[in-house]
Amino acid sequence: MSQKKEYAVIVIGAGHAGCEAALAAARLGAETLLITMNISTVALMPCNPSIGGPGKGHLVREIGALGGEMPRCIDETCVQMKWLNTSKGPAVRSRRAQADKYLYRQRMLQTLFATPNLTLRQGHVTGLLVESGRVKGVRLETGLVFGCEKLILTSGTYLNSRIILGRATWPGGPQNQSPAVGLSDSLTAAGVKLRRLQTATPPRILKSSVDLNLMTELPGDVDAGGFLWENRLRRYEKQISCYLTFTDERSVEAVRRNLSESPLVLENITDDGPKHCPSIDRKIIKFPDMVKHQVFVEPEGWESQELYLQGLTTGMPPAAQQDIVGSVAGLENAVILRYGYAIEYDALAPGQIRKTMESRVIEGLYTAGQLNGTSGYEEAAGQGLIAGINAVLALRKQAPYWPSRTRSYLGVLVDDLSTWEKPEPYRITPGHAEFRLTLRDDSAERRLAADGFRIGLVDQKRFSTIFEWSARIEGEITRLSALSLLPSGEARERLARLATGDLKKPASGAELLQRPGVTYNNVMDLLQQPENSRLTAVDEVYALETEIKYRGYADREAEKIVQTSFLEKVRLPLETSDHRLHALSDQARQILGSSRFDDLSQMVRKHCLTRSEIAILLSVLSEDGDRQERHEETR
Amino acid sequence: MSKPKIDTIAAVSTPAGRSAISLIRVSGPDTFKILKKLFITGGKKAFPLPYSVYFGSVIEPDTGLVADKCLVTTFPAPRSYTGEDLAEVSTHGNPLVVSRVLQLLLKHGARAAEAGEFTRRAFLNGKMDLLEVEAVSQLLSANTSSQARLALNQLDGLPSQFVARIRDRIMHHLVQLEASLNFPEDAIEAIDEHLLAREIKKILAELEIFARNARSGALVADGLKIALLGRPNSGKSSLMNYMLGRDRAIVTEIAGTTRDTLEETLMVGEYPVKIIDTAGMRQPGDRIEAIGIERTSKAADEAFALIGVFDGSQPVKAEDEIVLNRLRQSGKPVIAVLNKSDLPQQINPEIFAGLRQLSVSALKGQGLPELQKAISQIIAESGLSGYEEMILLGAQQSVALDKALTALERADRGIGNIYQDMLAIDLEEAVRELGRVNGETVDVNTLDLIFERFCIGK
Repeated sequence: MSQKKEYAVIVIGAGHAGCEAALAAARLGAETLLITMNISTVALMPCNPSIGGPGKGHLVREIGALGGEMPRCIDETCVQMKWLNTSKGPAVRSRRAQADKYLYRQRMLQTLFATPNLTLRQGHVTGLLVESGRVKGVRLETGLVFGCEKLILTSGTYLNSRIILGRATWPGGPQNQSPAVGLSDSLTAAGVKLRRLQTATPPRILKSSVDLNLMTELPGDVDAGGFLWENRLRRYEKQISCYLTFTDERSVEAVRRNLSESPLVLENITDDGPKHCPSIDRKIIKFPDMVKHQVFVEPEGWESQELYLQGLTTGMPPAAQQDIVGSVAGLENAVILRYGYAIEYDALAPGQIRKTMESRVIEGLYTAGQLNGTSGYEEAAGQGLIAGINAVLALRKQAPYWPSRTRSYLGVLVDDLSTWEKPEPYRITPGHAEFRLTLRDDSAERRLAADGFRIGLVDQKRFSTIFEWSARIEGEITRLSALSLLPSGEARERLARLATGDLKKPASGAELLQRPGVTYNNVMDLLQQPENSRLTAVDEVYALETEIKYRGYADREAEKIVQTSFLEKVRLPLETSDHRLHALSDQARQILGSSRFDDLSQMVRKHCLTRSEIAILLSVLSEDGDRQERHEETR
Repeated sequence: MSKPKIDTIAAVSTPAGRSAISLIRVSGPDTFKILKKLFITGGKKAFPLPYSVYFGSVIEPDTGLVADKCLVTTFPAPRSYTGEDLAEVSTHGNPLVVSRVLQLLLKHGARAAEAGEFTRRAFLNGKMDLLEVEAVSQLLSANTSSQARLALNQLDGLPSQFVARIRDRIMHHLVQLEASLNFPEDAIEAIDEHLLAREIKKILAELEIFARNARSGALVADGLKIALLGRPNSGKSSLMNYMLGRDRAIVTEIAGTTRDTLEETLMVGEYPVKIIDTAGMRQPGDRIEAIGIERTSKAADEAFALIGVFDGSQPVKAEDEIVLNRLRQSGKPVIAVLNKSDLPQQINPEIFAGLRQLSVSALKGQGLPELQKAISQIIAESGLSGYEEMILLGAQQSVALDKALTALERADRGIGNIYQDMLAIDLEEAVRELGRVNGETVDVNTLDLIFERFCIGK
């Protein structure tokens, strides 16, 4: 039996980025090879057992709208589903699932095996084949060589990775995996610049050794629905709870007396790690007056006997970990099954990836996930999907898919990543999305399903179903804007019963709905619309109410969206020998002609142009636009 | 590719600060349409003839009140600096006058030009060579953001410190709000909406005082408008001339001589006062007089205070009653002046009951000190900010301050009724616009501040 040697697309690494990338490429028809160091740990969650939350959950919804796999997989394998931020507004409202880590892996593995065009192989890639700046294939530790046209590298935290536990340190990947060795040298030789990043994970403890009675139970929401559009109304009757406990003076004391063994103090690790999940040692150092830190005790699966201690992340040595864990209420007798550890790994230095996830250095190479300096499964999956899509579009010589930051969190993610310059890894939050009123959880399909359909990851049937659903909502919004209530005595009486103010002039149904406390059904009652003419599905009513109640705020956002998307459409580099651009500063012209930024919007956001320079550029561009329009008209 | 549509832009072309003359440029398709609304030519020459200079007044079309006497020079397309229809308006150099004229242009259809925008258009229309563009654009970009700062630095920097403090206070709450929105499970103390509502109200109140000081600054720099109202021939124009100490208004025996509003500035104590002589209030005799009378009404509405002028030597006439009613209903500070005190008095003084009242003889030059004293008193009682509190803002700064106030008012109204994610948008807008009042354009980066302040770890 002979092994195939040439693939259209090779994906290295089968974590969350690699799985999405390989699935997208194969589903779009490309012969795809997915190489993982260990088939048993495909789609591994080496850190927290959860997916979602504000920003992250938005990404998962969008991955689903575009035709990615993560939402389907987590919907089927979660042990808990919960709504977060429900009272704070639709823009920040998001689901968060607790995963069964084992089922998640199994299910993803089955999906990979069941996908046509996709070949899964175990192997350790030690080198890239690069010819004249173009990727040609990969070489494995075994000596095997595979050729490809596009290579997607999703090495996670494995590149030259090193485990740190206090003073002890050894080469190793997450959860006792092997590090990926050799690839870094190969990348460096091809001109790619690397940097070191670190992250860490908390200890896992034996469930039966914990006193849950001393903790607050945190159950899920039965009616939270799933991430995938098709699962939006799914009920999760059976769930497992998480538990919350807190550190106290004893814990602070335990950390302090072990601090000399902390990698932070020993300085045997890079300081560049995720700001949003600091280790317990870092928290005690940075917030010395704070005693009460949250510790979430989370299940790792239906059958798992392990509990994850969110909040007690540390790379301190085993004795110190036992000391600290034992200081927390309910964990006094906790038996540690796996110690927490810190890991240091190679990631790309800033400025080497495009919004398409293609490398700015090596042609045909795409990178996604933690290698790109992000943290989080969801961020990885999102990048993997974009990389997979763009690898295939490039194969087909079609225009790349550039998700716009005005349209999706995916757009925010890739846009921010391609210009990210800070030392710490990037995590998505609504705070990064300036257009978050538009990029709501409930609007993911209305924003992206058409893109998914055009790309080919959303089939005709699914697209039509989503389209009909969305048309029903839009249609009702239109109807509600057209219907109006006249200020008759009777109407005013009905309004008074709703305690929502008087009516002095005719108001449309939409205007009435914008009043605080007024619901869609209130409005339909006021307008005396028969019940059988109304929307009834809760998700449709919710989408409609949100759309209308947000309208005033969203309209203010819309103006800025127009400006940003105009600038985004101006791709860089520009031909700067154009004599009309000589008015710009040398520096601006140099950046415009380089591949440092993907588009003008990035350059403006990074303050690389003065306002007068923007004005001059826009004038040249709109002049060219006019010429093109005229040219097209005369044809 | 869609592109922004060409609109009409306006900007001050001379550097900020006091100079004898300031130049405001207007360019774009609506240049002359806007100026026709705002600019009343002094002469008979039709407006706008190409490449002509006009002397006249920039007025507020709603009130007919004069913002400034100006020179307007017309440059129709394509032979202009920008290649578009362009006009240059030369105003007096007082920054507040300049700012008023600019604001009028902005209010009536022009958009504040961005730095380099005139140059961009010139360049686009092939009016400049590239070296020129470079020189001009560098100059412009150097001027703009510092321009806003200059106005504040003219004083002692206290107003900008005040704005920065207010901005920091809002930012403090915004960061907490954003922290709880972005990291819902990180045990960030929930926003106490009642406390925040109180704080927003407090900030709003302080900022409104600031805005009032800015309005006072604008009012005073412009002259406090006091309109003279009275029936025809009651002696308004004589009184004006007497107050000015020279003949400004045409005085005749013929009632209705003053058909338009006239205004002149004089100092009363430390305040510049702009006396506005109006057409007499009566049933108009012809159309022009009718327009005059209409302008009188508007002038009265716009004025800071009113002086009713009555002929003390005559019994009260029906037209005097109209004036009296107007005074009583205006809600503004009012002085009733009984003119012609040198003649035997026939007017019944009881009709002025409750009004500040004094007698003057414009003809004989009697009673001026008392009138000035009365004006000083009404200024003192008006709640106008003290000189030391007044603030000078440029046009762009005023716009930013208004936007900040609007955003805060929205937050004030909304809090408790709107979701916190929307509230955060209002607070962020307030923070951003307050930054602009101080001439800064900084990114509002709440995320970094969240990590500094809160222990995020879930």
